[in-house]
Amino acid sequence: MPGAAPPPETEVVAIGREIAAALPAPGRHPVQAIDTRAMDLTSRDAELKAALFRFVDVVPACRSVDDLAAHLVGFLGEVDSQTPPLRAAMKMGDSRAGRAALGTAAAAGVKHMARRFIVAEDPGAARRTLRRLWRDGTSASVDLLGEATVTTAEADRYAARCGEALDALTAIYGDVPARPRLERDGVGALPRANLSVKVSALTPLLKPDAPAMGQRDAAPRLRELLRHARDTGAHLHVDMESYDSREAITDLVIDVLSEDEFRDGPSAGMVLQAYLRDGGELLDRVLAWSAAHERTPPLTIRLVKGAYWDHEFVEARQHGWEPPVWEHKAESDRSFEALTLRLLDARPAVRVAIASHNLRSVAHAIAANRASGGDDAGLELQVLRGLGDDLGHALAQLGHRVRVYCPVGDLVAGMAYLVRRLLENTSNESFLAEQARGAALDDLLAAP
Amino acid sequence: MSPLEPFRNEPLAELRRGTERARLDDALALLDARLPLRVPVWVGTDRREGDALPSTDPGAPDRVVALAARATTGDVDAAVAAARGAFPAWAATPVNERADALVGAAAWMRGRRAELAALCVRECGKPWAEADADVAEAIDFFEYYARGAIALAKRPPQLVQVPGERNTLRYAPRGVCAVIAPWNFPLAIPAGMVAAALATGNTAVLKPAEQAPGCGLMVVEALRAGGVPAGALALLPGEGDAGAALAEHPDVTTIAFTGSGAVGLGLLRAAAAKPPRAGSLTRVVAEMGGKNCVLVDADADLDDAVPAIVHSAFAYAGQKCSAASRVLVHEAAADALLERLAGAVEVLPVGQPSEHGTVAGPVIEREAQERVARYAALAADTGRVVTTRAAPAGGWFAPPTVVTDLPADHPVLHDEIFGPVLAVEAVRDLDEAMDRVDALPFALTGGLFARNPRTIERVTARSPVGNLYVNRGITGAMVGRQPFGGNRLSGTGTKAGGPDYLLQFVEPRVVTENTMRHGLVVD
Ligand SMILES: Cc1cc2nc3c(=O)[nH]c(=O)nc-3n(C[C@H](O)[C@H](O)[C@H](O)COP(=O)(O)OP(=O)(O)OC[C@H]3O[C@@H](n4cnc5c(N)ncnc54)[C@H](O)[C@@H]3O)c2cc1C
Repeated sequence: MPGAAPPPETEVVAIGREIAAALPAPGRHPVQAIDTRAMDLTSRDAELKAALFRFVDVVPACRSVDDLAAHLVGFLGEVDSQTPPLRAAMKMGDSRAGRAALGTAAAAGVKHMARRFIVAEDPGAARRTLRRLWRDGTSASVDLLGEATVTTAEADRYAARCGEALDALTAIYGDVPARPRLERDGVGALPRANLSVKVSALTPLLKPDAPAMGQRDAAPRLRELLRHARDTGAHLHVDMESYDSREAITDLVIDVLSEDEFRDGPSAGMVLQAYLRDGGELLDRVLAWSAAHERTPPLTIRLVKGAYWDHEFVEARQHGWEPPVWEHKAESDRSFEALTLRLLDARPAVRVAIASHNLRSVAHAIAANRASGGDDAGLELQVLRGLGDDLGHALAQLGHRVRVYCPVGDLVAGMAYLVRRLLENTSNESFLAEQARGAALDDLLAAP
Repeated sequence: MSPLEPFRNEPLAELRRGTERARLDDALALLDARLPLRVPVWVGTDRREGDALPSTDPGAPDRVVALAARATTGDVDAAVAAARGAFPAWAATPVNERADALVGAAAWMRGRRAELAALCVRECGKPWAEADADVAEAIDFFEYYARGAIALAKRPPQLVQVPGERNTLRYAPRGVCAVIAPWNFPLAIPAGMVAAALATGNTAVLKPAEQAPGCGLMVVEALRAGGVPAGALALLPGEGDAGAALAEHPDVTTIAFTGSGAVGLGLLRAAAAKPPRAGSLTRVVAEMGGKNCVLVDADADLDDAVPAIVHSAFAYAGQKCSAASRVLVHEAAADALLERLAGAVEVLPVGQPSEHGTVAGPVIEREAQERVARYAALAADTGRVVTTRAAPAGGWFAPPTVVTDLPADHPVLHDEIFGPVLAVEAVRDLDEAMDRVDALPFALTGGLFARNPRTIERVTARSPVGNLYVNRGITGAMVGRQPFGGNRLSGTGTKAGGPDYLLQFVEPRVVTENTMRHGLVVD
């Protein structure tokens, strides 16, 4: 496989150190320090973690404060090691007044946690946050959270919300001050408004054993959104989801973007997951396609590790299948670096966005970009709201082009997303968890 | 022969990969070119072909899938006589060798996974995923009971021992087992029942469903190829009369049956009334119908519940004994659930089972189509049809239908329809739902969508069903993982694919030996 040369290790480490130095010291954000401590605590007690995550998940389905408290007590009752604070909470469940206090406190806690990851209830309400981010030198991609799509009406509703979001974003960014670093790269202009969409929300027919079915059903809605994005001058990014839908999503994006009407826009993108064993083959296919179909602007590829590792691994194990994902974290990290090099080398046929909170992965990409003769602003770096805020801020201050992925939605819709992020943050393998535990910088920056 | 590896379920085909789907399509094309299959009456080494009993493709009834000979009463007598003759030798065959024959049958099927799945698609209208699972389950039964029989023989329960006395318990086969199989799991269920009989040292006569003789033949082919002696297993394609003659035969000591409640109760009666010529009570192992309810609490995650319920009710057009036919939902969640269920059924892939992605194919035959239509009409008369799909032309398609607002005594809430009709009822709370479940004569499978651990505990403690599924679909029991079978009128309480299933096929014998002679203890 062709690819840019690996950057010198010393360079990667130096960049990593520079970014680390620009990160705020722990404790600068008191609220976040509490969250981080709480998460560290729960990640050490697997049962408590399970109980709390299941509680977070059920919060929107609870009908009253009393109901909330009953659920919390129910979950906590399943934890074996009943520490004094746990016993106190359980005891509150015994009286109506106790339940009222417990339920109210718990609901507030969950709302607080949700606000860290979810920007606002809808794109309009995200206006202030998005404009502040922009003024501070970072762009955003908005993602509309929603319940699962199981009906046509739900798919239509999601598509309509996406259309409204494109309009809202256009309005929000209409009169922001110019930020040249965020608005142009080596290829050309970059849209300000940027929306991420999920194909699983655009059709109820995403069937793993019949990808063509979901593709056929989602295509008209995706086309409508692409037209809307072209008309408003926005970028539309199609997220990647679990392996069950990989073929449908890939075929859908490639087939629709091959259509004549989208030859000259809008700006669009898809996602490559490095944790997949066949990630390289997918990249082969996308690169061959973009070579054969010269669209302007070129396709943006967001490189991620992949958000569904536990699901993929457990599901494959349950069915007796070879997991589609790498088995060891270091393999995903290495794959990420290898794909980074290939993507950088494939420019300008594609645009590249590196999405990771792992200092090592990000530093490697920056070093590789520099080694290949690119300048920093030519490479887009992406982080998630709530998990990568500090990193994004530090990177922007150092002159990098940063985009923050900003989920928007109500509490009901947001819980699945929230639980996934919490899991990610507390997983033993996660870079952020290691960093929070105070691992040595040299270890964090070592080659995988 | 080295000892068997621990049991592990046969992996299902990974249909999300295009290469796997293409393999199945190729196998179907090859099979189509060979149709119709010829299914003989097969007793010992004698194969008598015939065409009195055709099986056809439920999705395209003009396509003849198999031409089977029809077993006569003479064939029944010959088959039972052969099985009786072969019994002493097979019973005396070391258990490891019997187990090897089952493992050999599993290997035979494993080498023909795609071909056998294709046959299920054509002969029984099973969509690919279900057809593939049927083959895998047949393989699982062979492998699981092979190990189970060894365990039963080598590690029987230990008895209390005192000095000077040796007590041993062992299990002996019962004799000739009649296996009367259904069409809805045309490979897995006959394979399981026959394998259980053979593994424990019985001989067997299989009467497959008249709708699925081709699949029945494959089960016998597999076992014969695996090393089961010709006399130990006979195949009698035929209809109800052949089944009845077989079950009533005085030399049959065990009847293994899966099918409708009416036939099952008839077999139990007939077995009890049998003249005791062979000097043995006939044991009946029966798996019968269900009226399976899914309970949905107010705190359920509908994102999970809706797809799971739709799949449980409509996959394979609802023709599984485990299928969901009633939903009892907390009134706080009822409107949302009903709306999303209806919408999900609107887009349910209904069509030919050979098309990838099809969830609801045709029902098995014209009578089934008419029966479903009758119940749907009854529901429309008194209740409200929330949604119903147009049925494709050309096969025995029955429109998937969701109904609600039915009076408590409505037949749709009580009869086993065995088709794609789902009734939804709102309840005040889960206690009311459990009362309704309790009032049913059936107790096969059930479902619960709820998140409060205490609720789950409460429902679990009270549920009468043989298989309760919490926060997932209620079909798709796996051998060894979800031993399957119902209580009350749903069955004799046996658990196929479970650790105690084989006990139905044996009789326990205890030997107590005095080991003391003149004060000398010989141990
Ligand atoms: C802006 C943005 C957009 C994103 N969009 C998507 C998207 O569309 N689709 C998507 O799937 N994800 C997406 N993600 C999430 C991403 O895939 C990762 O889950 C997340 O960023 C964590 O990776 P990391 O490099 O930041 O952290 P790290 O801690 O370095 O890596 C954690 C990741 O490693 C992998 N991993 C963990 N354990 C193992 C193991 N035992 N073996 C192999 N691999 C393992 C997993 O992918 C896990 O998420 C996005 C992330 C960002 C920042």
